[in-house]
Amino acid sequence: MAKKTYDLLFKLLLIGDSGVGKTCILFRFSDNHFTTTFISTIGIDFKIKTVELRGKKIKLQIWDTAGQERFHTITTSYYRGAMGIMLVYDITNEKTFDDIVKWLRNIDEHANEDVEKMILGNKCDMEEKRVVSKERGEAIAREHSIRFMETSAKANINIDRAFSELAEAILDKTSGREADADHARIAVERRPSRAPPTRACCT
Amino acid sequence: MSLQKARIQVFDEALGKDVIDLEYLRELAFQGIPDANGLRPLVWRILLLYLPLEKNLWKSTLQQKRQHYRNYIEEIIVSPGGPSDHPLNVSPDSSWSAYFKDNEVLLQIDKDVRRLCPDISFFQLATEFPCPEIAYSNGVKRLHRRVQQSVLRFSTLERRGLGVAKLSNEIRRKDTHAGDYAPLREGREAHWEVVERMLFLYAKLNPGQGYVQGMNEIIGPIYHTFACDPNIEYRRYAEADCFFCFTNLMAEIRDFYIRTLDESSSGINNVMVKLSECLKKNDPMIWNLLEVQELRPQYYSFRWLTLLLSQEFSLPDLERIWDTLFADAKRFDFLICICCAMMYLIRHEILHGDFASNVKLLQNFPPMDVSLILNKALDISKKQNRVNFTVCTLDPTRPCLVGCTRTGATHSRRVAGNSATS
Repeated sequence: MAKKTYDLLFKLLLIGDSGVGKTCILFRFSDNHFTTTFISTIGIDFKIKTVELRGKKIKLQIWDTAGQERFHTITTSYYRGAMGIMLVYDITNEKTFDDIVKWLRNIDEHANEDVEKMILGNKCDMEEKRVVSKERGEAIAREHSIRFMETSAKANINIDRAFSELAEAILDKTSGREADADHARIAVERRPSRAPPTRACCT
Repeated sequence: MSLQKARIQVFDEALGKDVIDLEYLRELAFQGIPDANGLRPLVWRILLLYLPLEKNLWKSTLQQKRQHYRNYIEEIIVSPGGPSDHPLNVSPDSSWSAYFKDNEVLLQIDKDVRRLCPDISFFQLATEFPCPEIAYSNGVKRLHRRVQQSVLRFSTLERRGLGVAKLSNEIRRKDTHAGDYAPLREGREAHWEVVERMLFLYAKLNPGQGYVQGMNEIIGPIYHTFACDPNIEYRRYAEADCFFCFTNLMAEIRDFYIRTLDESSSGINNVMVKLSECLKKNDPMIWNLLEVQELRPQYYSFRWLTLLLSQEFSLPDLERIWDTLFADAKRFDFLICICCAMMYLIRHEILHGDFASNVKLLQNFPPMDVSLILNKALDISKKQNRVNFTVCTLDPTRPCLVGCTRTGATHSRRVAGNSATS
């Protein structure tokens, strides 16, 4: 059996409609590479990447799911164990954005109550095809008190940042649990009250 | 005579009969169909019960089926008759609402056919036999046109004093992301467009099932095999023939694709359970380790089974595996044995791996000689059935030694040895 080479293990899940670029985001993050030649994900796929945060080695175990309705019974079984979930839509496709609400409902039904969430508007390099403004993305994130970022797996925009922010949020919770109850509450509340990240993307 | 030539001859003889002996043909195909003279596409047509066993019926059957297919294209795609009411009609049986629903299905198909077998160029190339009514329609009959994303141009009218107006903010948008799977020019069609059409027709003709992701991975290899037939007459009708073969194949595996049947005896969960039981019986050590690691069968075998392994192997290897699968009379029991054999053959790596490396390994099955897998699968199958599960040798002249009901053929326990090299 392999030796334990990390301090913490975080389980993350990528969900969202078919074709929004979940697999490409994960591939960019894990292999720092982009390709359009991806076959569609059937069922569930899996990648591992170890990152270092605040001096701790964190192993991210990331599950990539199939987007189509048919696979939901297969994929929702992964929600329970997930500590962080990324909801991805495609800024050039209105329906994928509208469906974010549906995906959020799925999380409510199947995931742990305290799971960390983040919404990603992917393909933000395709400005000329954009149909969902960044403001609308920010608005829905604010409404649900969730972090938000626009990303591009192709142009490598915000991909690493998205994963480390999500991992950091989980880390906050984890260390919060280790500390006493008061601290835990503060740790949990601190982040959601913060405004969504505003670093410019795709301008 | 070389082994390859001998095998071709055996197939030619089997196919030369007036009435084809299906059981015998299955036995032959189980060991692999030679990659020559268009044998594979022809035998697949028979094994998938598209071509009847009586050869004198072939001509009329093909004519009839191909005409049916032309009619489907005409009725469903070329002149479906436009919606008869208005787009804002909220009634559920409004013809516009049906049109919009169709487009949702089409959108999903369109996404998937454009990422079919990206490691080979075949699907991006032009077919020799485009559908003329569609290829010469100024693009309007092309299915992907219906779901193409377009952004409306807009500009702002600024008034500057009396009579002075200026248009500004015009945003120029152009389609720059067509990529490799771009539609071809007027008069030509890419193979992926052909696959898109077949899947759309299938979804329309099987409304209870529609289109489910993964069907593209089933139809793709069949179409590839048919469209590469050296016989031009068969190649010309690759699309129509493939459509019906795919339909027949789906009739046998469609329950894997229906969510509400997941828990039924024919649903995917039960097949995954069967694989798990097969593994437990044949390699309790790996089974146990995976249990301890909580590495669930659905992490890897859901895809293996639903797609009949089409995402796990390169196309030539897959074709060889499908020869055997299509030849399996008890479809697809042997599939489970193959999956079990695959795991057995990497058992050393599995036993030394942790959860993460094992998921990775099983989701990215390493390249391997297919005959090795099929031989092991046959061993497992024999054990499983506790009967003499046997395969004919090449020599049909010697008597049967192991109690096969069919006369005139020897049997051996070998499988695949000859064909993997073909």
